[in-house]
Amino acid sequence: MVKFTRLALAVLSGLFVAPAFAEEVPILRIYTYDGFAAEWGPGPGLKAGFEAICGGCFVEFIAADSSIGTLRRVQLEGDTTEADLIVGLDTAIAGEARATGLFADHELDLSGLSLPGEWTDTQFVPFDYAHFAFVYDTDTVPNPPKSFEELIALPDDFKIVVQDPRSATPGLGLVLWIAAAYGDRAPEIWAGLKPHILTVTREWSESYNLFLEGEADMALSYSTSPAYHIISEGDDTIKAALFEEGHLAQTEVAGVLKSSHAPALAQKFLAYLTSPEGQKQIPSTNWMFPVIDLGADLDPTFATLPQPEKTLVLSDDDIAANGQRWVDEMLAAVQ
Amino acid sequence: MLTLPHRPIRIAVAITLAVAITALIALVLWSILTAASGGATGSRIDIPHLLRMTSIQAGLTTVLSITVGIALAWALNRLRFPGRDLVVGLFASAIVTPGMVVAFGLLSIWGRNGWINQASEAWFGISIGSPAYGLSGILLAHVVLDGALAARIMLARLDAIPTGRLKTGQSLGLSAFQRFAIIDWPALRGTIPGLAAIIFLLAFTSFPIVLLLGGGPANQTLEVAIYAAVRQDFDLAGAVLLAATQIAVCSLVILAASALAPIPTNFGASTPPRWRDRGPARSLQALVLLGCTIGFLLPLTAVLVDGVGAGMGRVVAQPAFWWAAASSLVIGTTSALLTLLLALALALGRGATGSGTLRTLLGMPAFAYLAVPAVVLSLGFFLLVRTLGIAPSTAAPFVVILGNSLLALPFAMATLGPPLEAIARTRGKLIRSLGLSGWRQFALVEYPLLGRDIGVMLALAFCFSLGDLGVIALFGTQDFQTLPLMMFRALGSYRNNDAAAIAAILLIGTIAAFVGLPKLFERIADAAR
Repeated sequence: MVKFTRLALAVLSGLFVAPAFAEEVPILRIYTYDGFAAEWGPGPGLKAGFEAICGGCFVEFIAADSSIGTLRRVQLEGDTTEADLIVGLDTAIAGEARATGLFADHELDLSGLSLPGEWTDTQFVPFDYAHFAFVYDTDTVPNPPKSFEELIALPDDFKIVVQDPRSATPGLGLVLWIAAAYGDRAPEIWAGLKPHILTVTREWSESYNLFLEGEADMALSYSTSPAYHIISEGDDTIKAALFEEGHLAQTEVAGVLKSSHAPALAQKFLAYLTSPEGQKQIPSTNWMFPVIDLGADLDPTFATLPQPEKTLVLSDDDIAANGQRWVDEMLAAVQ
Repeated sequence: MLTLPHRPIRIAVAITLAVAITALIALVLWSILTAASGGATGSRIDIPHLLRMTSIQAGLTTVLSITVGIALAWALNRLRFPGRDLVVGLFASAIVTPGMVVAFGLLSIWGRNGWINQASEAWFGISIGSPAYGLSGILLAHVVLDGALAARIMLARLDAIPTGRLKTGQSLGLSAFQRFAIIDWPALRGTIPGLAAIIFLLAFTSFPIVLLLGGGPANQTLEVAIYAAVRQDFDLAGAVLLAATQIAVCSLVILAASALAPIPTNFGASTPPRWRDRGPARSLQALVLLGCTIGFLLPLTAVLVDGVGAGMGRVVAQPAFWWAAASSLVIGTTSALLTLLLALALALGRGATGSGTLRTLLGMPAFAYLAVPAVVLSLGFFLLVRTLGIAPSTAAPFVVILGNSLLALPFAMATLGPPLEAIARTRGKLIRSLGLSGWRQFALVEYPLLGRDIGVMLALAFCFSLGDLGVIALFGTQDFQTLPLMMFRALGSYRNNDAAAIAAILLIGTIAAFVGLPKLFERIADAAR
């Protein structure tokens, strides 16, 4: 009976699963968010680049519902997870991810990185960064708000789309941004934003799509997002609104799971991700700044993008101590 | 009950199945409860708030749907026009139209850049804003589906009013209002509590519509909150609390509803009326019918228009689409057949026993699933396979098939139960005197008479599972996805055209199955006769 069940399981699951590759080739399975794995995202280029240098391996990007969803998925799957790596968490969620005990040390020398601050994390490896910002279209929004308070003061039919802080790293970033800028006044700012929020989406790409479709006036994205429209579409009408309060920056990170079937290969991928070859692919696919100095390999458009004058900073301890409360306050305010 | 043929095997099989299903549900609940007690910290979910919001939403949906349903049934009952059968059939198909498809269509129609806003801005220079999101969007989508369902059920009631009553009414010269109050209302009144309970339950447990149109944390049902707790917060304790609340509320509603009349799912053709109202009443009926037809058809038309356009070629060129389509077909077919087996076995056993207690017991599995809805069941299965050390991706196809079968079981029982019991009652003596065996009873008597009902049941089960998002939401992976899940992902990621194309395919597939399967099986059963 057991044999039969196994056989039936094998046959039936075989029916549903896309053809597997011969097992001799080691497979690296990477959980990431949809936009990273998409054909226009960094996934395909990184896959091709790494497969060419790994000496016979197969890279598979598996898109979870959302960026933070990748972490939830390995938490749910526990030891049965197939994932070797997660790519696409950020420094704000890294503390919580570390606390799960699911991640291994990266054991890489990251002293050559070129980031705003020194990198000391022993488990997570940074691969790009940018400031959070609302983007708008100059055709429909000639006078964008210059602060959260100006945004709140606009008529209610001025709509923004933001992301759920429980599922998307930029959504969490906005909560932290407002907390960093307004401290105890954050719930008040959220209550003011509520009438402007068209919808809270699970993931960044859904918000951005609604903005591009004209359903909303602004979407929470990054100060680097206009680069996509300038470089890929020759369109300079999409701009990031700079706020007087200052902006919070996001650094996206990747980490190897302790349960990985191919830890050495996974570590090699992290090294590739931060190498010049890997980094070259990031700016023009994920539309963020690289974490090393690419020199002439970085499209000059990036240097022309207006950047915020003031960068807000929250310490990891502050996020660990108050992050949950800030998210709860946001959820309570928009409910 | 001496007339019932002696069928111990049927009763034994039915009891075994009923016990097995109950045990399965118990196992699922147990796995949720153990997961919750194992180290999960206190939850932060505001359950009273959620319960209040969900109840308000479901209450409004119920009132609006019943109101729309009465008005539409009234109009359809009175009006005679070419294509009436088609319109009646369209409203009947609301029961199988996937919620995701309707939600998507509503965005195209009612969104800020939707058809209505574009028209309104072009003609009057004003924007109506974005009613497609939030509570208004949820209510719109629910009323489109549940209002049509209510109308179809109430129309059947109005059609069944004896001609004698109508003739008397006509000869007394009743006004349109008097006619409604004296003749129609007493016929409708009986269905309203049961119908209201079902609609309340559907709205209370609504998943894809609320997920797509709710606007995030602002508007959730408990189902969506469970999904969010698991997929976004990894708050298993919270998910379990929500699941327990959900089960408690649904059980209460079901207990109340089970005392009321059952919901018919199988309709014959609606006969065109003989006695028609005159004057303003008739204009009002035409207006109601026109409004409802446009309201119902516009989102679906938008889905077809958007879908057949830009995205279709790109979507069908993707291997992932064909995998998803094949998975959807295999899952739909397998779960429909499984539903048929379960429903037949349970209904045959129920029909074979004269004991009231046993009949209630055998009817229970059909209700179990309503109390433990898709996402809760899926969560339980997920935790169960994890405890057993099986990779969720291995178990996923089985769980999705089983979950969808259980989901369709109440409707399957409601479709097959009454005709089978009627056969046992009316033909029991004949069967006994002929000394037919159980198998020959089925092959010679029951099956030929059930042909159309089996088709209807298979169509319902197939369509439910074709449009399902709740069961697969927690189990889907990149390698294992169905069309609704692929559509949901496309929506969440930049690819609206893909989503539109999949929505159109889902809609066409659902309608084809819903119209075609009953006809097909009627024909097959006729051939067997």
